[in-house]
Amino acid sequence: MSSVDIIDRAKNEGRTVLTEVESKLILEEAGIPTARAQLAASRDETIAAAKQLGFPVVLKIVSPGISHKSDVGGVRLNLRSAEEVGAAFDEIVAAARKAEPKAKIEGVSVQKMASPGVEVIMGMTKDAQFGPVLMFGLGGVFVEVLKDVAFRIVPLEPRDARQMIREIQGFPVLQGFRGQEPADLAALEGMLLRLSAFVEDHPEIAELDLNPVFAYKDGALAVDARIVLG
Amino acid sequence: MTDLHDKLERAFNPRSVAVVGDKRAMGYMWLNSMKTFQGKVYSVQISKDEIPGIEAMNIPNYASLLDIPDEVDYVVCAVRRDISPRIVADCARKGVRAVTLFASGFAETEQEEGVRLQRELGELARESGLPLIGPNCMGIYNPRLGLRQSPDQPAGEAGNVGFISQSGTHCINFSHLGYVHGIRCSKAVSFGNAEVLDAADYLEYMTDDPETQVIGMYIEGPKDARRFFAALRRACGRKPVVVWKGGQTEAGNRAIFSHTAALASEVRIWDAAIRQAGAICVDNLEEMVDVVKGLLYIKPGTGKRVGLIAMTGGQSVVIADAFGQASLEVPVLSPASYEKLASFFNIIGGSYHNPLDAGGTLAMGFRLDNFRRMLDILDEEPNVDAIAIETAVTFLAGRRYLSSNLLNNLLRLLSEHKERSHKPFLMILQAGHLEGGMAKIRGKVLARGIATFGSFHQGANALAKVIAYHRFRDGSENA
Repeated sequence: MSSVDIIDRAKNEGRTVLTEVESKLILEEAGIPTARAQLAASRDETIAAAKQLGFPVVLKIVSPGISHKSDVGGVRLNLRSAEEVGAAFDEIVAAARKAEPKAKIEGVSVQKMASPGVEVIMGMTKDAQFGPVLMFGLGGVFVEVLKDVAFRIVPLEPRDARQMIREIQGFPVLQGFRGQEPADLAALEGMLLRLSAFVEDHPEIAELDLNPVFAYKDGALAVDARIVLG
Repeated sequence: MTDLHDKLERAFNPRSVAVVGDKRAMGYMWLNSMKTFQGKVYSVQISKDEIPGIEAMNIPNYASLLDIPDEVDYVVCAVRRDISPRIVADCARKGVRAVTLFASGFAETEQEEGVRLQRELGELARESGLPLIGPNCMGIYNPRLGLRQSPDQPAGEAGNVGFISQSGTHCINFSHLGYVHGIRCSKAVSFGNAEVLDAADYLEYMTDDPETQVIGMYIEGPKDARRFFAALRRACGRKPVVVWKGGQTEAGNRAIFSHTAALASEVRIWDAAIRQAGAICVDNLEEMVDVVKGLLYIKPGTGKRVGLIAMTGGQSVVIADAFGQASLEVPVLSPASYEKLASFFNIIGGSYHNPLDAGGTLAMGFRLDNFRRMLDILDEEPNVDAIAIETAVTFLAGRRYLSSNLLNNLLRLLSEHKERSHKPFLMILQAGHLEGGMAKIRGKVLARGIATFGSFHQGANALAKVIAYHRFRDGSENA
C-alpha cells in the first residue's frame, strides 16, 4: 500500500492516528529508514512472522484506539523463540483488552529487535503561528524529564539540521560518551532534512513522532513511529 | 523597491507633518513632540477650547486636513476612536504618505465595537493604499529630523540603529535608555495593533534602509508569523537584528497525541525561529541596550577565549565566573606571556594568571605604562580572542582621579588600544555608589568608542551574544 492509500483508508475509517505499521510504511516511502514492522492478526501469524524475520523480535499491540502502547502493557522486547513469541502475543492482547475494552485490536506488529544505539527522538507538530516545526532531542529521560530538545521551523536548511542536533545540552552523548561509539551525525541530519521535505509534501499530517530513533556509528533507524493526521 | 517602501521612505523622512486632534489635557503632547521637527508642522483641530493654545505655540491650525494649503507627508491622528475613520478618509483624499493612529480602544479591547472600528479603518486604508500605522501606537521617530513620539525624546542627531516595537512605551524607553548608552536611533516605529502594516513591513523597510546598521525589535505576536520569519531571515542576511519577544498567546486547546506537540511551547518555538533566522534573542530592555551597544562598539570576532584584567582578588574571581558562565572561555595564557608579565608584575596582593589581578601593578589605574603593557601582552597572546577589563572607578573617584587629566589619559590609552587591536574589547564600569556621576563617565568612555557595561554579567552576556552572532554569520558556530 502506498502512503496515499494508507492515508485515504484512515480517513475513510474516520481515524486520525495511524498505526505503527502504517506510519512506518509511509516513512519508508519517504526515504526515512525504519525498523520494518509486519502486522500479524493471530498467534500463528505472529509466530510465523517472527520465524521469517529471525529472532530476537519485538511485539507491539496494533490498535487504532491505543496510541501509548507501553502504557497498556502492549510492548514486549527481545523475544527469542516461538514459545516466547506465542506467550507474549497472548499476554499483550489480554493486557490491551483489559486496559482499553472498547478499542479494536487488529493484532500485533512484529519486528526484528534492533541492535541498541543511542536513543534520539525526532518529531513534527504544527505551531499555531509558524506552522510545521521539527523537533530533535535525545530519547528517554532526556526528553521526558529534562525536555532537552531543539526546534526548527520547516523547511529546514542543512545548517538548521546541523545546529539543532548540536544545540541540545546532551549533545556530548552523541559524540561518544564514556567509550560509546559516536553517533552518525550526518545520518541524523539527513533524516531531519528528509523529514522536513516529507512534512512539506504532506500538509495533511498534523503530528509525527519518531520515538525512539536508534543512532548508530553508521546510520540511524526509526524503531517506533506515530503519525497523526489533521 | 516596492510602492510601500517608497511611501514608508517618505513617511519616515517627511517634509511636512500634521497633528489632528491634539489637546491641552494631554499638554499638547504631539505638537510639543514636533517642536524639534525640521519640516513644516500643521495642526487640525475644530474645538474652540483647544485652538488658542495651539495658536499660542505659533502652529498654524486648520479645521480639516483638506484645508491645509500644502502637501502633507505624515499625519498623527490623536482623535477619539469613533472619529478616526473620518480622519483616515481625509488622509486618503489628501494623499498623505502615512498616518499614525494614536487612539486606543480598538481590537486590543477584544470588544465588538473596537474590533469593528479597527476593521473599518483597515478597509478604508487598504482600499486607498494608505499605509496606516497602528492603531494604539506612537508611530514614527526620526531623531535626525526631530520627528518624535514624545516631547522629551532625544532629537537632532543622526543614528544608525532602527527600532521596531509593538509597544509605544518600549519604543520610547529604548530611545531614552539607548541614548545614555551611546546608541543613536536612525529611525524607530511603534506600531501597536498592526491592522494594516505589520512587523514584517517595517522590518523589510529597515532592512533596505542604508542609514540603519543594526535593528532592534520588540514583538508580541505578528499576524503572519511565517511572513515575519521570512522577513527576519532576509534582514539577518544584511545586518544584525536583536529580537525581544514579549508575552505569550493562549495555547490552542486541540488534543495533542505526540511528545513533539506536548513540548512545542510558544517560548521554545519563538526561540527556535529567532535563532534559525540568525537573529539575537534578548529578554528585556536592558539586555536589548547591552547587546545593541555590543554590536555597535565591540569589534567583530568569533573566538570565545577571553583575556581578563581586574583590579582586586575578589573582582578577579567574579569576572572569571561571569565570563566563564556566559558560554565563553577564560583560558590559560601561553608561557611567553607569563614570562613577559613576570618581568613587571607586582605579585604581592596580585596574580598574573587569567584574569590578571592587576590593581597593585597598575596602582589601581595610576600606572598607565603598565596598563598598556598588559593590554599589549593580551593583544599578542595567541590563546586570547577577546579582552575585557575592569576599572576601579569607584576607588579612584575618592582620589579626585575622575575629574583630573588621569581619566582622559586612561581613556586615550584605551581608545589607542582599541584602534591597534583587532580583538573584541570591552570595559566594565561598575557604578557602585557613584550612580549619578557614572552616566557622565560612561558617556566619556563611549565617546571614545569603547563598549562599557554596568556589571560583569552584562558585559559577559553582551560579548557572548555578539560573538555568537558573528559565529553564525561566518558559519563557525558549530566548530
